[in-house]
Amino acid sequence: MSHKLTDGGQVLHVGTLARVEGEGAMHIEIDDGKVTEVQLRIFEPPRFYEAFLRGRAWTEPPDITARICGICPVAYQFSSCMAIEDACGVTVPAAVQAMRRLLYCGEWIESHALHIYLLHAPDFLGYPGAIEMAKDHGAAVERGLRLKKAGNDLMTVVGGRSVHPVNVRLGGFYRMPSVADLKALRPVLAQGLEDALATVRLVSTFDFPDMEQPYTYLSLRPEHGYPIDTGSVVTTSGAAFDVRDFPSHITEFHVAHSNALHANLDGEDLPYVVGPLARYTLNHDRLSPLAQAAAREAGLGTTCRNPFRSIIVRSVELVEVFVEALRIIDGWRDGVAPSVPVPARAGEGFGATEAPRGVLFHRYRLAEDGTILDAQIVPPTSQNQPSIEADLRTLTERWVQLSDHDLAHRCEEAIRNYDPCISCATHFLDLTVERS
Amino acid sequence: MTATRLVIGLGSPDRGDDAVGPVVARRVARLGLDGVAVIEHEDPTGLIDLWVGADVVVVVDAVCSGGEPGGLVVIETGADAEPLADRAWARTGRGGTHAFGLAAAVELGRALHRLPARLVLVGVESSAFEHGAPLSPAVHQVLDAAVGAVVGAVAGALTAVGEPEVTVDVSR
Repeated sequence: MSHKLTDGGQVLHVGTLARVEGEGAMHIEIDDGKVTEVQLRIFEPPRFYEAFLRGRAWTEPPDITARICGICPVAYQFSSCMAIEDACGVTVPAAVQAMRRLLYCGEWIESHALHIYLLHAPDFLGYPGAIEMAKDHGAAVERGLRLKKAGNDLMTVVGGRSVHPVNVRLGGFYRMPSVADLKALRPVLAQGLEDALATVRLVSTFDFPDMEQPYTYLSLRPEHGYPIDTGSVVTTSGAAFDVRDFPSHITEFHVAHSNALHANLDGEDLPYVVGPLARYTLNHDRLSPLAQAAAREAGLGTTCRNPFRSIIVRSVELVEVFVEALRIIDGWRDGVAPSVPVPARAGEGFGATEAPRGVLFHRYRLAEDGTILDAQIVPPTSQNQPSIEADLRTLTERWVQLSDHDLAHRCEEAIRNYDPCISCATHFLDLTVERS
Repeated sequence: MTATRLVIGLGSPDRGDDAVGPVVARRVARLGLDGVAVIEHEDPTGLIDLWVGADVVVVVDAVCSGGEPGGLVVIETGADAEPLADRAWARTGRGGTHAFGLAAAVELGRALHRLPARLVLVGVESSAFEHGAPLSPAVHQVLDAAVGAVVGAVAGALTAVGEPEVTVDVSR
């Protein structure tokens, strides 16, 4: 809908942006064909999780923070577990870490399958949404639903529920799934791997706008394997630091137009990016041979800086997590203790894992009896806000001659490249364009 | 095995009025309706798999369709019915993950030819979805009525497909 201003300028309200998570608005000002202002306005009210964690017991954050998001609760559970275990001086056994990685694979499968097929693919195939796409591409959408169900099944067996797992506790799990439980999943996951490979082939045929992000990429990098459940921090600008040094490199700051904090890296003005492109670019060598081959056949190099191609990277990551899930299941043995004790002590701890949409950092300071004195949570979409705005600034200048409708649609696509989980919460985003 | 008569309570149990689906489903389950399976579920995208093989399905969920909180909305649909009206129930509960809500799941099922023959959506007009909050008083007050609507929907739907009516006392 367009409104003429009395001074001859133009204000455009371009409906709502669907298929993203979070309440906010996009405000774009164009003056004489030049983009003068781009703001991702997140007006979803602050939820004060960090504040109300203060005074709670050290055992509670895995369950409390998991409620921040329905699509990435495992990320919150494991980042908080790692941070508190760090504060308490506890390192979990390798088997517990492996089971955490397996549960995390389930979350990545759920999240990536949902985004690729139901939220992002319609952009590239020219449909307003998954429902319309399903009428012409039923088999593809069925594959997406099958993939998501495989993730749900894995989450249910390991986590006890498909959405908010209830089997996670500080130090490990309440109970470990048996070899029989996991073997029963194998056919579903083997089919999932085939579906993931087919997904890479499908999305590699899409047309992608040319774009190269000049920003610094930041991800975790573990000693072995692809970054999911652990790792230290690396960047494409050559920085490498331990997770406990995250607060000295990453500075959160408030901007007037958003209720979610922004973040910068080492005080730089240029944004930095977390998520699939950063993980892939910094860890291509850590992908399994099968995932590397799938990436190569899809036309990806060892790095990827085009945000529109993130749908291919997510698909390659789907292949990777199915390979990982099958590897962990095949190596699992019964008789493993489900958890280790995590006795309280005074201290400060740091934890970071790779949520499907990027690094999720937690920090906790504990009193001697385990009471939480201070908590900090840095979610991935908060870190990506400046780069989303920068992408939109670049692309809007390129697309300024498009009609309002087409411009709005392209901006929505650019935002969906990030699979944003705005404040890891609800769901409507209005896009406003002002032209003068 | 999938039940041929199914009641699904949709929503998050920990987000205020969004819990009304699971709460109503739990009360319906306690009624012990013969031959009617009752499940709780959080993710709308999972509905298509849940109702595979079911002939009659009733989904109860929180909705925000503009009515007064506590109001009940019942929509009859199914494999041979017309699609839901444009924007109908665009916001159901929290809208599901990434805005993929109940209405989207129903229409996706229709596009994939995976809707049950009869599908009844029972919506409870809701207003508050805060984390950790209980049901709002307006929604809490209509729980019995919502249970009655679900049971009525099961009974009506069963009648429509030639099954005997289900008679229950919702005050149990």
